[in-house]
Amino acid sequence: MSRAAGPTKTDRDWAQVQARAAGNTVYFDAWGGDQAVNRYLVWVSDQVRLQFAIRLVQVKVTDIAEAVTRITAEAAAGRRHGGSSDLLWINGANFASLQKAGLLYGPWADRLPNSGLIDTRGNPTTVTDFQIPTRGYELAWGTSRFSLFYDAKAVAHVPRNIAELLAWIRAHPGRFTYPRPPNFLGTSFLKQLLILTVPEHAALARPVAADFKRVTAPVWVWLDAARPFLWRHGRLYPPSGPAQTELLATGEVDWTMSFNPLDMARAIQTGEMPDSIRRMAFAQGTLANSHFLAIPFNSSHVDAALVVANFLISPAAQARKADVSVWGDPTVLDPTRLPKVDGRRAAEPADPSDTGANEPLVPDLDPSWMTALEQEWLRRYGTQ
Amino acid sequence: MASALRYAMSRVLSVLLVLGSVLPAMAGLAASLVQAASPAAWATLLATPGLWRSLTLSLWTGTASTLLSLILAHLAVSAAGIARRTGRLRSFVLPMIALPHLAVGIGLVLLLSPSGLLLRMFSPWLTGYSRPPDWIVVQDPQGLALILGLVVKETPFLALTLLGALTQVPTERFLDVGRTLGYGPLKSWLVAVAPPLQRQIRLPTVATLVYGCTNVDLALPLGPQTPPPMAILLWQWFTSSRIEDAGFAHAGTVLLVGAVVVCLAAVLAIACALRPLMTRWATDGHRFTHDGPPRALGMAGSSIVGVLAMGAVVALLLRASTPMWRFPAVWPVSATGHPNGFASLADPLTALRTAAIGIVVASATLAIVWSLSEWAPCKAGRSRTLTAVFFLPLLMPQISFLFGLSWLASALRLDGSYALVAWTHLGFALPYGWGVLSTARAALDERYLQVAASLGAGPFRRWCSVTLPLLARPSLLAASLAFAVSTALYLPTLAAGAGHVRTLAVEAAALTSAGTLHVAAQSGIAMALLPLLAFAIAAISSRVLFRRFGGMPR
Repeated sequence: MSRAAGPTKTDRDWAQVQARAAGNTVYFDAWGGDQAVNRYLVWVSDQVRLQFAIRLVQVKVTDIAEAVTRITAEAAAGRRHGGSSDLLWINGANFASLQKAGLLYGPWADRLPNSGLIDTRGNPTTVTDFQIPTRGYELAWGTSRFSLFYDAKAVAHVPRNIAELLAWIRAHPGRFTYPRPPNFLGTSFLKQLLILTVPEHAALARPVAADFKRVTAPVWVWLDAARPFLWRHGRLYPPSGPAQTELLATGEVDWTMSFNPLDMARAIQTGEMPDSIRRMAFAQGTLANSHFLAIPFNSSHVDAALVVANFLISPAAQARKADVSVWGDPTVLDPTRLPKVDGRRAAEPADPSDTGANEPLVPDLDPSWMTALEQEWLRRYGTQ
Repeated sequence: MASALRYAMSRVLSVLLVLGSVLPAMAGLAASLVQAASPAAWATLLATPGLWRSLTLSLWTGTASTLLSLILAHLAVSAAGIARRTGRLRSFVLPMIALPHLAVGIGLVLLLSPSGLLLRMFSPWLTGYSRPPDWIVVQDPQGLALILGLVVKETPFLALTLLGALTQVPTERFLDVGRTLGYGPLKSWLVAVAPPLQRQIRLPTVATLVYGCTNVDLALPLGPQTPPPMAILLWQWFTSSRIEDAGFAHAGTVLLVGAVVVCLAAVLAIACALRPLMTRWATDGHRFTHDGPPRALGMAGSSIVGVLAMGAVVALLLRASTPMWRFPAVWPVSATGHPNGFASLADPLTALRTAAIGIVVASATLAIVWSLSEWAPCKAGRSRTLTAVFFLPLLMPQISFLFGLSWLASALRLDGSYALVAWTHLGFALPYGWGVLSTARAALDERYLQVAASLGAGPFRRWCSVTLPLLARPSLLAASLAFAVSTALYLPTLAAGAGHVRTLAVEAAALTSAGTLHVAAQSGIAMALLPLLAFAIAAISSRVLFRRFGGMPR
């Protein structure tokens, strides 16, 4: 169902794309739960209005699955043109769903003037989304590393591995928890445990196979041992990562987690967090992925969406995004391409507590792992 | 001949009006039913671990909270009625109704949870806690916190509808007769006044029960997790990134709706079975003159609801003012925090848009209910049919409309239009408007109209100068309820508006999706302001009108 892409790499073609884009509106479906992101997108709207005469409207969704449902409904109603959405902030299972149903426009992502700046060699997650090759249907926008944070005032001896973490949890009942799967961060925590407990990472690069029970057994042993000592005895879990971070700020727990290694640096700066929060790095491997931009098959203004996407991966926009006082989302570009801010490249960690500079990154697992882990978690802990 | 034609036309028009107003919601329902027809979806659904406990939990919390709210509302209204202080009670419950469900839920979490306001006030000086204790208070597995939240939200609603119905019952006369016969005021009230009142608020009671069994807003912050109430499961499946999950979510919707209908039938059957007991108590001749203690107890029960609501609001305000509220500080101390959520919620355009849609919905509700209640009161059966149709949208969990409504909007090329959003809202606002207004119209003393007719007034003039003034108070109530319902609707707005119609509820839902209480508290406050304003305007107009029509029977 996908249409052939418009842009090619020649300057003249791109000038035509820009000319056609001017005066149009781009509806950008993007999660609206983070005010820092929303504020950043207000800045982006101002920039694309001034530079390209494009009106950018953020459609703040509670979950991008909302937009997936809407686009699916539009396809069912036979709406092949003039769809309600022009640009999506997406990754993982939602991308897989739309891609499988043929509801994405493309390929386009490798044909923008700024596409070449993306660090595809240094960061392979920019072209494989949860083990699925993006093939030009998705443009990497930002990159994420699973991060575990603790309050240094409460955690005297920092655990160096998962066994030491378990010992800490058992010695401090009620002070550790994780977001409740199927929340994506909760499920990501299970995947991170899997990476840390499974020696053979090769099995994790493939979709879930018949040996799921055997491969994941150490994860359930770990969780069973931890559960009685979790916050609320493992009978309740925070609904999301930000909610757990708030529990940490309130003083209910001593740990939280996020996909953004710079999250806490920003929260400390805005006064949402005490300044004693540190990040725990995993020498055995950290779960990493990227988040992307995609264009629905029936977008009303493809050209304008392409121009906005190209702007979003421009060095200026990426540097501003990586600034912890703005959003603090690590760039997808080759770091040497970014302009220097205060004598330092914006992509470099500004957070002295970020000790994970040299941790090995493990690309996120196939979406089938997410489903299987969620189901098994719900079966084991969902009803007790 | 001409009158027969006019009658036929008005009848066709009425049927179109009724069907049209519930069409968007019905399209969603139809889509659910079609998608629920797959046997594979049912097999997956029935294999869900904890499904039956989820379902039981939904029915238990919904039923228990409705019964409790109903009892408390009757006690509060009887106490106020006996003391002739119904005006005071009304001005007390109106602001509580304006509070969105979300705000009540979050506020109670902030009040009652171990790191909440209540424990902070006594820590560490009395309790010795410098860190919050690891207790399960809210989200308890039995659903008691959820029941409490529902009671806090629904008692004022039922009390208000009872107060509205009060204008149609000759309370004073009944109490006088009771007193003459030597009965205590409480027994006179319960025997003579309460039953006709309850008959008038049957529909709002049913709506409360259905809401209690199917809500997400309160179940999310207050309800248990392992397993959660059924509506939360449905919500998780509908918003899942796996498109196939929607299949058994539709089947689950049908299961939940079926269970609620069975539950409703059971409650009605039990109520019927208890009627002889009530009759025996009414006719046992016992005068029950020393009713001071039970009346005080009833007042205390409903006062606790008021205190909890106020505590929740205070906790909400405290939490909204600071991003970091460390235990055990009562007052926010963080000076560096900036109020980050208000920025987009305080956008005047969003508030204006929300209010404009609300006003359109409230006006349309009044117009439809006024015209239909002129058509319906003569035949009780017709009125019951209308009621059943109007209530269909409230019988389905809102989440189930999402796909069908998006599909309809897209097929009609109406997605993202204000017209479709208002049209969809109408389906949800009408049952409340109809519930309040049609019963008031049915209870209207027809002799006033007969007198007006004998004086030569035509149907239009009779309506303008007799019916409308007599219905002024319930009309204002119906309009402000419709307005409040419209401003609070999130999922229908999203589905009909394709995310392009940004109302306060849509904005607030996006902001609170991160699950943090700080932003949720800010959203809750922002969302309470518009309905609060609407109720205030209605209350003031009601008072002004009441002064003008002061000599009329209440």
